[in-house]
Order: sequence, then C-alpha cells, then structure tokens
Amino acid sequence: MVRIEYINAKWAGEIKLGKEVLEYFKKQKITSVALFASSQFTELDSVKSQLKNLGISVNITKAKRTDGGVQILGCDCYADSFERPIIQKSEVILYVGDGLFHPKALLLSQINFKEIKPVLIWDCVAEKMSILTEKEIKIQINKMKRNLRIYINSFKIGILVTTKPGQQYINLALRLKEVLKKQGKKAFIFTDNTFDLKQLENYPFIECWVNTACPRIGTDDITTTEKALINIRDAFAPATALEMISK
Amino acid sequence: MYHLELDKVVERINFLKAQRVLVQLPDGLKTKAEEIVDYLEQKTNAKVFIWFSSCFGACDLPFGLEVMGIDLMVHFGHNKYWKAEKW
Repeated sequence: MVRIEYINAKWAGEIKLGKEVLEYFKKQKITSVALFASSQFTELDSVKSQLKNLGISVNITKAKRTDGGVQILGCDCYADSFERPIIQKSEVILYVGDGLFHPKALLLSQINFKEIKPVLIWDCVAEKMSILTEKEIKIQINKMKRNLRIYINSFKIGILVTTKPGQQYINLALRLKEVLKKQGKKAFIFTDNTFDLKQLENYPFIECWVNTACPRIGTDDITTTEKALINIRDAFAPATALEMISK
Repeated sequence: MYHLELDKVVERINFLKAQRVLVQLPDGLKTKAEEIVDYLEQKTNAKVFIWFSSCFGACDLPFGLEVMGIDLMVHFGHNKYWKAEKW
C-alpha cells in the first residue's frame, strides 16, 4: 500500500491586503465580507485585523470537505458546499490567493441565487487586486442549461467514473443506471483515471454524458467539448436543476 | 515563497524507509520539482519520481502506483480533505 504525506506548502510571508483593496472597501462603504482562501493562504490574522480596523465584519464558514477556517476547495462550487450561508449575508466576497480556479468556484456556488455577487481577489503573491464577475461564468451557465435540456431528452446515457479514489463514486453511478433503466433509458458506465473529453467523440451512440468525478468537469470543462455532459448531482432531478439555474 | 517542508519529508522517508517516492505537485508548484527531487535524493537513499500530469486537489491522487514499486507519495499544495458521500 502506498502511504500518502500531504505538505500544505503554506505561503511564507505575512499576508496583508494591499492599499487598493482597502481603498476599494472604503470607497464602496463595505460593512461585511465573506472571507475565503486556498490552503496556502489561510493564515489571515493580519487581513482580519485590517478589515476590523475599517469597521468591516468578517464572515467565515467551514467548507464541508475541509478541516475548517477560511479554506475553500475547487469542488466547493455549490451553495451547500459550506456549513453557513455567509455569501448571502455579506456585501462582498473576498478571496485571498493566486489563480482563478478557487474564486470561480465561489461564483459557481451562487448560480441558483437571484444575484451572483462578484468575487474580489487579492493575489498576495503578485500583490494585485482583481474582481471576478458573473460575466466570467456566463458561457458556462448557458452550456450547463443546454446540457441539462439534452440530458432530459436523451435515451442513451454514458456515465463516467474515475479510478481516482478521492473522486470515485461507482455506487452512485450504479444507482443512476438503475434509475435510468426504470425510466426506460439505457446507461453505460465508462471508467478511466483522468477524463480526456476528446474521447467522448469515440462513442457517438451516447447522447449525453454524466460525470461522477470532479464537479468542475461538469461546470468548466464542458466549454471545451460540443458533447453534452452534466454532473451526477443534477442527474437524478435534471428538471429541478434546470429550473434552479434558470432563476 | 512557499514552505515546502522538505526536512519533514526527509524525516518521513527515513522513518518509513521508503525506497521509491513519488512527488505530486499542483501546477503552481511544478517549477519546484527539480529543487524538491535534488534535495530529497541528496538527503535520503530513495529514488524520487515526479507525477507528470494533473493535481487539482487532494482528491486527485494517482492510482496503481504499486506497479512501479512506489511506497510513499508526497502530495504538495493541498491538505487532507473529507470526501463527500454524495454530491
């Protein structure tokens, strides 16, 4: 058996918000913030003090799959990924870290809300502020809706199951296959380690695919293929999922 | 700069007497692969390998490493997470 050692690779320097972030908060008269970070950047005592000094209340929640604190994972892209609904309660979402994968999850987690609040990113590596808005995920949302409509009308469904232990949901795939069978549909289960979506082209008899691995395949990677693909989470009640996104 | 905690990794390799170690890095840390392998091979007797492709999270672990005789995998950039029972 292979043993696994996790090394967080924490950011070594003190993390403080730059002047432009503080100025932005002052100008916009922000009074509450939902604070998130990726695992390298969770030591945020100085950031919390800076916000407190501006009279801003800091809302924090535990993402259910993490150990706690402000940490967010890339798969925390649903409203119920978090223990408390702090996004709805806050004026601004503040993400501390580099890259777009995690802050995009914070936008995606709001797709069932009436309003998608922007995410203010403080990249403490590049010392740069940017704002991610609903525009960034507009194409994804449209593709998700289109794929759900195709799924509802499909007869032959391909279900993707990864061999990666942390993302493997074979029992869920088997359950969906049974459910689809009862609906008079036909499902096939496909397995691989990492899914190269180009491979979908090799199975033209499949009308729609269901992904059981990382949910970001069904939210982000779908923009790279013409084939219809949805996430397992939406596969049991697709009409409800479609209605919720369309809100 | 990130804390790679290489001395902790060396300790772990020596404690486990690991012979073959796989290092897995997210994209942002892949440029550190040379530094990590050099350090671990200098400080231990282990052969160190680098996972070539994706590392999107602690959920994204390679499978079937036993075939190559890997006895320890060191996953950088993420911490242990709790797998959801269902989405």
